[in-house]
Amino acid sequence: MEDISLQSKIDVLSEEQVLIQDSAVAFIAQDEELKRVRASRFTQPGYDKAVWQEMAESGWLGFLVPEEYEGVGLSFSELNLVLIQLGKGLSPVPFVSTAVAAARALVKGDNEALKKEKLPLLVAGEWTPALAWQEVRANLSEKASAVTCANDVLNGVKLFVPDAGGADAFIVSAATDTGTGLYLVDKDAAGISIEYEQRVDGGFYGHITFADTPVSDMVAAAGNGEGQGEAVLAAVLDETRVAVSAELLGVMTRALEISVDYIAQRVQFDKPIGSFQALQHKTVDLFILTEISRSVLLQAATVFDSDASAQERAIAASQVKARCSDAALTVGKDAIQLHGGIGYTDEANIGLYLKKAMYLSSWLGSASAHRARYAELTL
Amino acid sequence: MTNTTTTQQVNYNGMDDDAFRQMVHDWFVENYPEELRFPPERMHWDQCGDWYMTLAKKGWLAPGWPAEHGGMGLDANKLLIFMDVNESYGVGRTPDQGMTMVGPLLIQHGTEEQRAHYLPKILAGEHIWCQGYSEPGAGSDLANLSTSAVRDGDDYLVNGHKIWTTLAMDANQIFVLVRTDKEGKKQQGITFLLVPLDTPGITVRPIVNLGMHDEFAEVFFDDVRVPVANVVGGEHQGWGIAKALLGHERIFIGSPKFAILAMSRLKALADMAGLFADPLFVDRYTQLKMDIADLGAAYKRFVEVLKRGGHIGAEVSMLKIWNTETQQRVMDLMLDAAGEHGGVWGELETADGVARAAGDFIGARPTTIYGGSNEVQRNILAKAVLKLPS
Ligand SMILES: Cc1cc2nc3c(=O)[nH]c(=O)nc-3n(C[C@H](O)[C@H](O)[C@H](O)COP(=O)(O)OP(=O)(O)OC[C@H]3O[C@@H](n4cnc5c(N)ncnc54)[C@H](O)[C@@H]3O)c2cc1C
Repeated sequence: MEDISLQSKIDVLSEEQVLIQDSAVAFIAQDEELKRVRASRFTQPGYDKAVWQEMAESGWLGFLVPEEYEGVGLSFSELNLVLIQLGKGLSPVPFVSTAVAAARALVKGDNEALKKEKLPLLVAGEWTPALAWQEVRANLSEKASAVTCANDVLNGVKLFVPDAGGADAFIVSAATDTGTGLYLVDKDAAGISIEYEQRVDGGFYGHITFADTPVSDMVAAAGNGEGQGEAVLAAVLDETRVAVSAELLGVMTRALEISVDYIAQRVQFDKPIGSFQALQHKTVDLFILTEISRSVLLQAATVFDSDASAQERAIAASQVKARCSDAALTVGKDAIQLHGGIGYTDEANIGLYLKKAMYLSSWLGSASAHRARYAELTL
Repeated sequence: MTNTTTTQQVNYNGMDDDAFRQMVHDWFVENYPEELRFPPERMHWDQCGDWYMTLAKKGWLAPGWPAEHGGMGLDANKLLIFMDVNESYGVGRTPDQGMTMVGPLLIQHGTEEQRAHYLPKILAGEHIWCQGYSEPGAGSDLANLSTSAVRDGDDYLVNGHKIWTTLAMDANQIFVLVRTDKEGKKQQGITFLLVPLDTPGITVRPIVNLGMHDEFAEVFFDDVRVPVANVVGGEHQGWGIAKALLGHERIFIGSPKFAILAMSRLKALADMAGLFADPLFVDRYTQLKMDIADLGAAYKRFVEVLKRGGHIGAEVSMLKIWNTETQQRVMDLMLDAAGEHGGVWGELETADGVARAAGDFIGARPTTIYGGSNEVQRNILAKAVLKLPS
């Protein structure tokens, strides 16, 4: 399908970036018709381990891991090129959960021995941890309270953990006497029970209960200082928001491409419906939305690849998550409208894009939650 | 089947509004099954058949029909109250095409025999209707339909393919538009036919919708024999009949019914999540609430025209546009208010039933597509009402 974004017209990519993008384009082209995506819906773990291995071999899992831990040591500007394609392909792999959220928690935490031991495994695709931080619906707080850690034992409930089904371990934020720490827990540790909730996109959220569950290691010591739990979690969540925004951009971009394609073909009143001005204007508005989103994402990547402060990063993360969440939902909804009746079937692929947008836009803070946070940070 | 509907000759319109509201509410509480309140999707017949028959016995299936034809004969004001109570209590929708479409059509354009044959069967729950207009190549451009009916003695032989037929799998009757003449303008040569779905040669194939339910279907006609007596409004006159009926469909889709339902779920969710403490939310909520209240005012105006026996033209499209787009905005706010829950199928328990943000959000998508898409409605208003040049 033809790329209708402005990237090739107005942006400049390095040679390395072009190679990365090309290999990601080729990767999702393997399932252009989304047959594998469909077959994986409502199954656990919901993705093919061979595909994960392929991604590891491309080095993608190590993009945000420094070379000293066998990562590739690249930045968001490269990572986003991959994520946009994964969004376009609706790829159900736990890329953001493992290679962004969990990987970055380890990298930013203060347990050097653990990094040396675990990060190479993660990068090689042999170990897939997920991050369990949320305790209350629609609440973005990095301070743990419902889950506690005392005497190396966890108690409490974490909500809305994507990709919990295929995870080997969890990095769990927990409250202690000295603040929030991050702890590593094996999936089969004693006292863990997971309730899975079906998401609209065909994946699952895990709601995880810990009952005297032993911690296998510390990822970041309790506290809000450098390398400590709360600060690490705050930074990691903002990085993850940028990553999810990139995926959302891919989702909306492909939804728009499919729709433009469709209205150019579909004939009613003896003409392609794409010849009607009402649809042309609507589609152009969606195009503008996706390019505004792409602009904000590029800017956010620049901020995250610089030495910007935590505050500047938080602002950039909220700005891009608000925009991409909103835009992906708008594009997803209008794409259904542009398709007419066929858009409201499970059979047509376009609906899968709306559902992915519904999931990703509400995870890690909706558009309105991030507008509120942006206001708080900037007013 | 005996006519069970003649017992109700109550003068509802003479009742005090509050007393009427209370009476309707009490009767729903007493008779509507608790487990069917706020159903997540259109109910199939095996779920709602009993309720349909309960309504039929009470004489409340057709609140808007004239009393002489077995309806409740409610005036616009009482009709709105009835809808409001219905939706606020979460009474699910039954297969209602007989009441909203076929009945009113036959009352206006049917023959005496057709009225006598079909109306009681609708009211008795014996005939469940579905609407066979759309085809793969004839959606917005309905006049492009190609399902053909060829005369063969006292019958037509019907061949073709209908699609998006809501609840065809539960219906036993279908009204279809067929092509009886291929010459001339597309709009000429279309005929309106009533067809029992158990006629040999008809195949119904369910289609799974975006909410993962089989709420609509494809209907295939393969040499299906239909008596000529089943034509409504005369051969080749189907387009005019269909347009008259679309008026009924649009005033139905234009009623605040579904927006009220959407609002009641948003309120339940907001109560639970404590959102009324947030002035920003209250403003967005109230804006929607007033959009719906104002729609009610417009709806009453249109219904009064019908009650006076007047004619409603293309202008009725404004109700459909306003209603469906308001409903979708209610769902936008609901999705937003639900947080991560907006990405899952499951429901949230509230003090007043459950809320299903994602399912309801998805369920609101097609309101701007069916019954003539909102783009097409805007075209109609621009041309037929504003008389803009084409
Ligand atoms: C849930 C659901 C239930 C339905 N139930 C029934 C039923 O029971 N019986 C039945 O017969 N049909 C039913 N329909 C079909 C419905 O009436 C059609 O989907 C509708 O008329 C649109 O036709 P289409 O799907 O072919 O889309 P298309 O006509 O292909 O439209 C695609 C897009 O193009 C736009 N468009 C088309 N023409 C123009 C124009 N001239 N100017 C601007 N924009 C234009 C449309 O607005 C839409 O956005 C149902 C549909 C849905 C979704």
